Amino acid sequence: MRGLVRNTLKSSVAIGLLFNAAFVNAESLSSYELVAKEGRLIPETVRVAAGQRFKIVVRNEGHDAVEFESTDLKKEKVLAPGATSFVVIAPLKPGSYRFFDDFHPDTGTGRIVVE
Amino acid sequence: MANALFIVWRESVEALLVIGILWAWLKVRGELERGRWFLMGGIAGGVLLAGALAVAMTVVQDELAGTALEYFRAVMVLLASALILQMVLWMVRHGRSMKKQLTAGAEAAFTRAGGLGLGVLVAIAVAREGAETAIFLYGLSFSTGSGLWLGALSGFLLAIATAWLLARGLRFFSYAIFFRATSVLLLLLACALWVAGVEQLIGLEALPSLIDPLWDSSALLDDSHGFGNLLANFAGYRARPSLMLLLAVAAYWLVVWFWTRRRVASPSPENSMTMEAPR
Repeated sequence: MRGLVRNTLKSSVAIGLLFNAAFVNAESLSSYELVAKEGRLIPETVRVAAGQRFKIVVRNEGHDAVEFESTDLKKEKVLAPGATSFVVIAPLKPGSYRFFDDFHPDTGTGRIVVE
Repeated sequence: MANALFIVWRESVEALLVIGILWAWLKVRGELERGRWFLMGGIAGGVLLAGALAVAMTVVQDELAGTALEYFRAVMVLLASALILQMVLWMVRHGRSMKKQLTAGAEAAFTRAGGLGLGVLVAIAVAREGAETAIFLYGLSFSTGSGLWLGALSGFLLAIATAWLLARGLRFFSYAIFFRATSVLLLLLACALWVAGVEQLIGLEALPSLIDPLWDSSALLDDSHGFGNLLANFAGYRARPSLMLLLAVAAYWLVVWFWTRRRVASPSPENSMTMEAPR
């Protein structure tokens, strides 16, 4: 019990420190839009400049929930129908990064091409 | 309908598996009487937290709050992973002594520290996937046709059946095999949670990725589809892992190996004599 309290305190401090580090350069990012519709993510290819932090805004225009997910980009985001949300992606090296809709894994796939 | 079934099954089976195994452990140890209240409390707390999380995930629109929410979810999975690890290691230490040999002191220790950890773990397990399931079901309410709801319900019932069969079925073997198999299952799950948490922290730039990716095995086994996706969800498989992630996984299994080896290497005499098949 005492160990649990101590660990909780420790993690709270760690979280606080992490926040400071993360918010330093969070403003004015270039933003790319993805529309989720009928099980697809449109466009299927998003071109992004290398070495820059950027934002992907996902808009769900479909009739059911979607989950924008990418293990390559280390992000996941669940969206109710009609919802709009975003993920901030850390600067990437040139290459191709896959993303998919985890609620429509057969149809909703795409990639981010960094160049 | 098949899609709704599979998604609800996938989203709920993890939490149900954790609950099922903990339930079975408590039962085998004869501690279900007290333990069940922590389990129930955890489930109730988890459902409430899932609802709150689902609302927060839908409502939050600004960057600061979005990042805060991502940190919260990352810390949540890391805590769940640590609690599972702690629980399995605790069982490795105490699991082999049957209930009649437990002193009153040991039972009290379970109630205070173990019970709270148990409740928190169950709450997180339920809340984590529960929030996503809640949004998925909310989405279903906009679609027409009852087939989807039937699929979702079947998925949930199937998840209960899966967890029950695994926890119950394994008890047909000896106590030792049951205990070992469920421990391995939980350790794999905890590894998947650990991977998810570390990955989220890398994505938030709180941790460096070092080399990313270290290799690409997506042509061999893709982590976004089918079996690879299941493996990703339940054991932490990644087709394109970063060096940081690999180090984190190595550290995890090293801790597991170190602790279990230490316990197995030095069994106290009372522990080694009490292996017993379940009723």
